Amino acid sequence: MTTAPAAELLTRDPDDFEEPRRRRHVVWSVIRTQPQATIGAVVLLAVVVVAALAPYIAPYGERERVGDVFEAPSSEHWLGLDDAGIDMLTLMLHGARVSLIVGFAAALVSMLIGGAIGLLAGYFGGKTDIILMRVTDYFIVIPDIPLMLVVAAIWGRSLTNIILIIGLIYWTTTARVIRAQVKSVRERVYVKRARALGAGHGRVLSKHVLPQVAPLLVAITVLSIAVAIFAETAIAFLGLGDPTLISWGKLIENAFSRSAISVDAWWAIVPPGLAVVVVVLACTMVGRALEDSLNPRLRVGHLSVRHFRLRNLGGEEAR
Amino acid sequence: MSGADYVLKRTLFALMTVLVAVTLNFVLFRAAPGDATSSLRSCRNCTPEFREALYRELGLDKPKLEQYWIYVKDLSQGDLGLSFVTRQPVWNELRQPILNTLPMVGLGYLIAMVLGVLVGVVAAWRRGTFLDWGGVATSLFFYSMPQQWFGLMLLIVFAGTLPASGIADPFIEFTNPPWWTVLLDRLEHMILPSTTLGLVLYGQYALIVRSSMIEALGEDYIMTARAKGLSSFAIVRKHALRTSLLPIVTLAAITLGFVIGGDILVEAVFSYPGIGLATYEAVFDRDYPVLQGAFLLLTLSVIVANFVADLLYFKFDPRITG
Amino acid sequence: MRGVSLAIEGGERFGLVGESGSGKTTTILAVMGLLPPNASVAGRVLLDGQDVLARGEASARPHRWRDIAMVFQGAMNAFNPVKRVGDQIAEPMELHGVAEGREAERRVADLLERVGIPPERGSRYPHEFSGGMRQRAAIAMALACNPKVLLADEPTTALDVMVQAQILELLTALANDFGLAVVLVTHDLPVVAQVCSRAAVMYAGEIVETGPVDALHHEPRHPYTRLLYAATPDLHGTGELASIPGAPPRLDRPIAGCPFRPRCDRAFAPCAEEHPALLGVGPGREAACHLNTAVREVSA
Repeated sequence: MTTAPAAELLTRDPDDFEEPRRRRHVVWSVIRTQPQATIGAVVLLAVVVVAALAPYIAPYGERERVGDVFEAPSSEHWLGLDDAGIDMLTLMLHGARVSLIVGFAAALVSMLIGGAIGLLAGYFGGKTDIILMRVTDYFIVIPDIPLMLVVAAIWGRSLTNIILIIGLIYWTTTARVIRAQVKSVRERVYVKRARALGAGHGRVLSKHVLPQVAPLLVAITVLSIAVAIFAETAIAFLGLGDPTLISWGKLIENAFSRSAISVDAWWAIVPPGLAVVVVVLACTMVGRALEDSLNPRLRVGHLSVRHFRLRNLGGEEAR
Repeated sequence: MSGADYVLKRTLFALMTVLVAVTLNFVLFRAAPGDATSSLRSCRNCTPEFREALYRELGLDKPKLEQYWIYVKDLSQGDLGLSFVTRQPVWNELRQPILNTLPMVGLGYLIAMVLGVLVGVVAAWRRGTFLDWGGVATSLFFYSMPQQWFGLMLLIVFAGTLPASGIADPFIEFTNPPWWTVLLDRLEHMILPSTTLGLVLYGQYALIVRSSMIEALGEDYIMTARAKGLSSFAIVRKHALRTSLLPIVTLAAITLGFVIGGDILVEAVFSYPGIGLATYEAVFDRDYPVLQGAFLLLTLSVIVANFVADLLYFKFDPRITG
Repeated sequence: MRGVSLAIEGGERFGLVGESGSGKTTTILAVMGLLPPNASVAGRVLLDGQDVLARGEASARPHRWRDIAMVFQGAMNAFNPVKRVGDQIAEPMELHGVAEGREAERRVADLLERVGIPPERGSRYPHEFSGGMRQRAAIAMALACNPKVLLADEPTTALDVMVQAQILELLTALANDFGLAVVLVTHDLPVVAQVCSRAAVMYAGEIVETGPVDALHHEPRHPYTRLLYAATPDLHGTGELASIPGAPPRLDRPIAGCPFRPRCDRAFAPCAEEHPALLGVGPGREAACHLNTAVREVSA
């Protein structure tokens, strides 16, 4: 325990004295006590497991023609067949892999970029901060889907490209939130103490700042997964997805371009969208629960999955 | 800082952003690898001389910096260049699509705001009750749907009763219709895409209105209002709404910009000839001037929307200028 | 909280004293019918003989602010930040039909002047006022409908000493000039001594002693009252600062006997078994302590 005088004890934030070592466990206890987050996490886990096992549990081949065009669901084909006679359930399972890979990978990319920028801007402040934040502001202003369209058209339609494109567009909110958090952590006593003792920037960042910021970063990344999945469906729908791969987005595109509607083949249209709804809901529930408990008064605009690139309301900068 | 200072600062910021947007636009389309010129190289029937002439005509043989300067100069005079495909001024190509998009997006926006505010306020006011759970559940559901998928669902349901594509009945001119028939026809074509946009947006708005309202209702001055003898409804109307209005309004302004950019999906599903669809077609036609022009307009609309949001923020919150 | 009963005369300045958590704020919130929906409330609030809470919210609301008004703890946040102060003072006037439009504006200016704020400030926003001014504005707002009773919850905490003195003088003057009954809720004994004529001391959700302020100071009939006064720093004296060891009991479990027993320096046998009732111990004085009955028995 500290030996600070009593009066000081009454006025200081308890976090200021020691680096809260138990912070890492906050994430786990939150998940345990919050039902919404638990459900979301369980659902996500289930989807990931199913997707990972897709090649082994899929009943048929993903290019294997097993029946008629748009055959209705039956006991052999729970979700019927698509316009090429391929089993929908198989397509859904394989599509899950691609959609989730894109979701997680792109979220990772945006976490790395946004996290790094936020960290640097918040920690160093001053000119670095101003420059980085200006760059962020300009990025936010570009409309996301048109940009993805254009870049995909120019760069080409591989899976890697799509992951990179999505990650390069949606990092901005992460950067803003992390920057705000880093700024407040930077003012804490133990950070100042470490700097006074001569610790270099790298050490302070990795040992003191990063652990404090990590839980929030996790929360935002979870929300980014949902954003990335939306983005993937958009790209695929506009015909710019990887042509060799099946994803949920591609399935929705198939439903549209291969006139599943005119033959009322709901089984080719409904499942992929529902799957996206389920995963997005799960991510949102987990992400929000984490975010709420870690930083209840986030003043960085309002985070939302859909318009993830919201900027600060003008008033923030004026203050 | 005073009010005038704030407005000035935001205006400068908006203008700066416009400048940067214009530059980025140029870089993206002219200077990036695999740019506009590459599509010309793939023109198989073009003789080398023809290609040279075309190059020169479009000013692509000049150094990049000079091209940039010409681009900016032209822009300031409202010249967005000529379409590769139709050889018509880009602005002419985009004018009608913009006019088509605006009412459709506007209607969707209206739906989203009205529903969102209604459900959000009621959910917050009657927090913890069935109304609250219901509101939150529907909001979450709509908010988690891919726009294009929801559009498809609506198409399935309404395929018979409402038009599935386009902006107007192509044959309506022949019947010499009165203006309200034309209006009705337009509305019929607009209602599905607008509803798609609107309901998907509504989910987000309702949740934000609700949390904003809950926060406002938790403030100390609400207790004072209760102590004064105000009824529950009066408290919501006179106090909570006013303070929670601010985040709602600014959010509305900001998302307007993004909605305009993001409605490509909806326009694609419903083949609605708006600016989103024009952008989409330009990508596939490799019609770079049109694409560049559309892109710039979309970016500008976002900047303008953000600027309006800043001004509204200033108007609604006296603390900014204090 | 249990068995809290107070009787206040018109124009009287009454103090409600106790540590934080003793139930002082809860008491006055209950009087106005402002407890949260998950509170269970039993009792009556008689205003000139009429029960104000008889039919719940419906009967309470018309009386709010008109007859009983309140100045909240931390009046800093009592104002809505996006509305002008003057408008907020006028609001209850219009609500209860006391005044409207021009007339209301005039009264607002009047009130502001009376609490020592230049009337033009009424068109400003709350964040433009200093802490002390906001407190005074809150008092002006409380007086908007000429109430009979003013409940002031810790009106001087978080203000510096000079401002504190001004506020207390203001409250005293208002009570005197308008026959306004003031209930001053505080943990600060010197404040009570300065402003109030009578007071009640609360501990662990109950009233443990009532009486004239002087009597409470010099002839306390409850150990808690005595220790409270002893623990108050005396600016003129050089005595040591005594404190009351221990902490108030948790109120979520039933307490056997006297709630103050663990901290009392004069506890004896009955204190652990029987809960002391609030009994009269003199003219206008009551106390809830076995020591009073024991003494009487001895001397009887």
